[in-house]
Amino acid sequence: MGVNMEELKEKVLAFATKKAAHKSKMYIKDLYKADPDASPRQIKKAANELVKEQKLEYFSSGSTVMYGVPGFGKGIEEAFEE
Amino acid sequence: MADVKKHDTPMVDELKSGPWPSFVDDIEQRGFNGKQACLDLLGQLELSYKHKETHWKHGGIVGVFGYGGGVIGRYSDVPEEFPAIAHFHTIRVNQPASKFYSTAFLRKLCEIWDYRGSGMTNFHGSTGDMVLLGTSTDQLEPVFFDLTHQMGADLGGSGSNLRTPSCCVGKARCEWSCIDTQDICYNLTMTFQDELHRPAFPYKFKFKVSGCPNDCVAAIARCDCAIIGTWRDEIRIDQEAVKAYMGGELKPNAGAHSDRDWGAFDIQKEVIDLCPSQCMMMDGNELKINNRECVRCMHCINVMPEALRPGLDTGATILVGAKAPILEGAQLATVALPFIKMDKDNDYEEIKDFVDKVWDWWMEEGKNRERFGELIQRQSMQEFLRRTELKPIPQMVKEPRSNPYVFWSAEEVEGGWKRDVKTFRARHAA
Amino acid sequence: MDNTNIAELLAKPYDKELAEKLYDPKKPMENRITDIGPPHYEQFFPPVIKENYGKWKSHEIVQPGVIKYVSETGAVCFAVRCGSARLITTDLIREICEIADKYCEGYVRWTTRNNIEFHVTDEEKLKALLDDLNGRKNPGGSYKFPVGGTGAGMTNIVHTQGWVHCHTPAIDASGVVKSVMDELFEYFGSHKLPAQVRVALACCLNMCGAVHCSDIAILGIHRKPPLVEDDRITGVCEIPLAVAACPLGAIKPATVEVDGEKKKTVRVNENRCMFCGNCYTMCPAMPLADGEGDGIAILVGGKISNRISAPKFSKLIIPYIPNEPPRWPSTVKVIKNILEKYSENANKYERLGDWAERIGWERFFEICDIPFTEKSIDDYRLAYDTYRTTTQFKWSVHTD
Repeated sequence: MGVNMEELKEKVLAFATKKAAHKSKMYIKDLYKADPDASPRQIKKAANELVKEQKLEYFSSGSTVMYGVPGFGKGIEEAFEE
Repeated sequence: MADVKKHDTPMVDELKSGPWPSFVDDIEQRGFNGKQACLDLLGQLELSYKHKETHWKHGGIVGVFGYGGGVIGRYSDVPEEFPAIAHFHTIRVNQPASKFYSTAFLRKLCEIWDYRGSGMTNFHGSTGDMVLLGTSTDQLEPVFFDLTHQMGADLGGSGSNLRTPSCCVGKARCEWSCIDTQDICYNLTMTFQDELHRPAFPYKFKFKVSGCPNDCVAAIARCDCAIIGTWRDEIRIDQEAVKAYMGGELKPNAGAHSDRDWGAFDIQKEVIDLCPSQCMMMDGNELKINNRECVRCMHCINVMPEALRPGLDTGATILVGAKAPILEGAQLATVALPFIKMDKDNDYEEIKDFVDKVWDWWMEEGKNRERFGELIQRQSMQEFLRRTELKPIPQMVKEPRSNPYVFWSAEEVEGGWKRDVKTFRARHAA
Repeated sequence: MDNTNIAELLAKPYDKELAEKLYDPKKPMENRITDIGPPHYEQFFPPVIKENYGKWKSHEIVQPGVIKYVSETGAVCFAVRCGSARLITTDLIREICEIADKYCEGYVRWTTRNNIEFHVTDEEKLKALLDDLNGRKNPGGSYKFPVGGTGAGMTNIVHTQGWVHCHTPAIDASGVVKSVMDELFEYFGSHKLPAQVRVALACCLNMCGAVHCSDIAILGIHRKPPLVEDDRITGVCEIPLAVAACPLGAIKPATVEVDGEKKKTVRVNENRCMFCGNCYTMCPAMPLADGEGDGIAILVGGKISNRISAPKFSKLIIPYIPNEPPRWPSTVKVIKNILEKYSENANKYERLGDWAERIGWERFFEICDIPFTEKSIDDYRLAYDTYRTTTQFKWSVHTD
């Protein structure tokens, strides 16, 4: 399949950043919409690479893991440490 | 020795008496041995015994860089009283398959955990990991670096990841194991490292591997993909040993009933009559098994282990979709592949191909926090079979459906669904 | 990193400074080793296990807690099984190592049900090991390593974390387990029950412990709907996530005024709440825990093994017992009674659930003297499957 990983990463990051303004934590499923032509596995790969590049971050409740954009929304840890 | 402070814990202290190992004594002694966190933990537990409520808060966002799982955040809600446990995060460490250890490994783990954590553990967590209980956020990366660089160990799964696979003792110590449970467990764990450490799925996904239908890791009740050893040829019989059981020279069930007088062993009553498919009989002095009718429940083998052994044409039954009640109710796993060879030489390709199809469907169609078994419930067993390209066979159901509302598709019906109402009315007045 | 041979790595002394030297928060990927997986299992096998892998021929439980395995090669291995609290400290792990070094060539194993297993190859060592284990006690008098957990007895209770370390529990775990095991201790070290009895505890309905297929399940339950912290909810969770978390659609978004300011929050239709706690899992501003409301439900008759009958779920027979720390006497009494009635009445090899099905649940309630309430009738998904649709039933105290 002709999906370029760098292009896909850009799309995922742009989508997540736009979305983060009103919904700071996203399920991987939300990110599928960044590129309807890419498969769930490709999106997952792109999102996880973006985490390594510190452009996205994980947010874990223990039972579920979500994605966030650094700087958007309030982390649970922060909320507790206030 | 160390400067530690014990809290007043009269209720918790009552759990020091009695014969069963007292976690209170163990934790308190560790506290006196220099770990304030242990004494603070007992102090907070006393407060919970008083209030009958937990004093732990939700945690989130802590973890090691690049991993979406393996660390669970935890905070005390009374940190002023118990500062040593203000942060008390959990680290899951992937256990070696079937949980054998060298003392060199365990000692090193203890050293790391004494230095960087509370000195408390769960050996083991429900899923199978070694669980290190209680450290602060700033120690997470150092613990991870110590584990990987100094022990060759790695974290286990949590969150919407593949969870740490686990297996029974298998061929390491059990004569009934029909498959190499450790090798399968290790192989799957290594193959799916990315899925284990980084979120990939709508929710958790678990593999468990049991060597025989006794299912000592409870795979059928608690994992999304259960791999359970079985066989498809004949149970091996040693007729001399059968006679020895009948004559009372060998203890039934390997001595499992030794402390009660159940009377003399009666093979008819205790084995043949209890066989769920009634496929056994005595023919004179010989035990006969109609293997074609056998459902491999293990009872006769369990009762007479010296006389009966599983067959030699071994493999696994694959069942999918078990889970605890949250949210749609508990589910036991459903038969998907009645028998596959678990072939080490081709890297267990057959099961991995199947798992790929399962994940493709679930990643595409699964709702957030929907377990795989719930997806089958919601979209149907038929859809599961289509997506995994399996042929429907009666082994997959307890009984055929009783309600007649079949979802036929247009392609299955002669002439399709396109009809002309005028032609219909030409035959039938309105 | 080669995970199949870590002996050399383990032989090096622990370097406390290494991690700080290697880890640079500004360059988090530098020096990072990832995705190495667990150490390969084979390097942790005692020699007799390694040499006889796949060659075992038969086994015998020579006494409760001691299983003798015989290999096709003629080799013999004794596994000695000991109970543990699961929640254990590094001091106790070191003591286990000391025992393993002394008798077991430096190897030890844990079972799925949190028992510790020591392996020896000759009877002399076996005797010395057993004497040693039996002599090790805690300051309060409890055994550190009680030997048992085999055959037609009770093995260790698998359990969750409870008030010791969980944020959603309705009950404690370790304290309840200790109380139950103290009372039923004789069944851990003996083979006098009709079949094995597997007891499990989960401290809330999330059931990390997957207790739903146990002979006896001790389950923590909440009975009060979640509180909603209007002033905090938007700060700590996403409203849509909290709404979506409810399996019964009982949570709806709402707007309220807090200190003259309009705030987004949620409202709970309390009559629809089944107290599952999934909302609290997704949203910390919706706590359920309540000292008066929370307690224990008892479910019985489940099993996992495919032996004789198919695996099955445990059934709810007692909907609620209050929390009674530190010793939970009512819960202990109920469980002891069920175990004793089962022991008196069931056939050899018959699991608790198979016994209850053979005599009929009406008779089970009668024999165990447990009141049957509407709470034992299912009203969730697939409830109808559990209703009686035949004229075949037994007369019992319920019809007399």
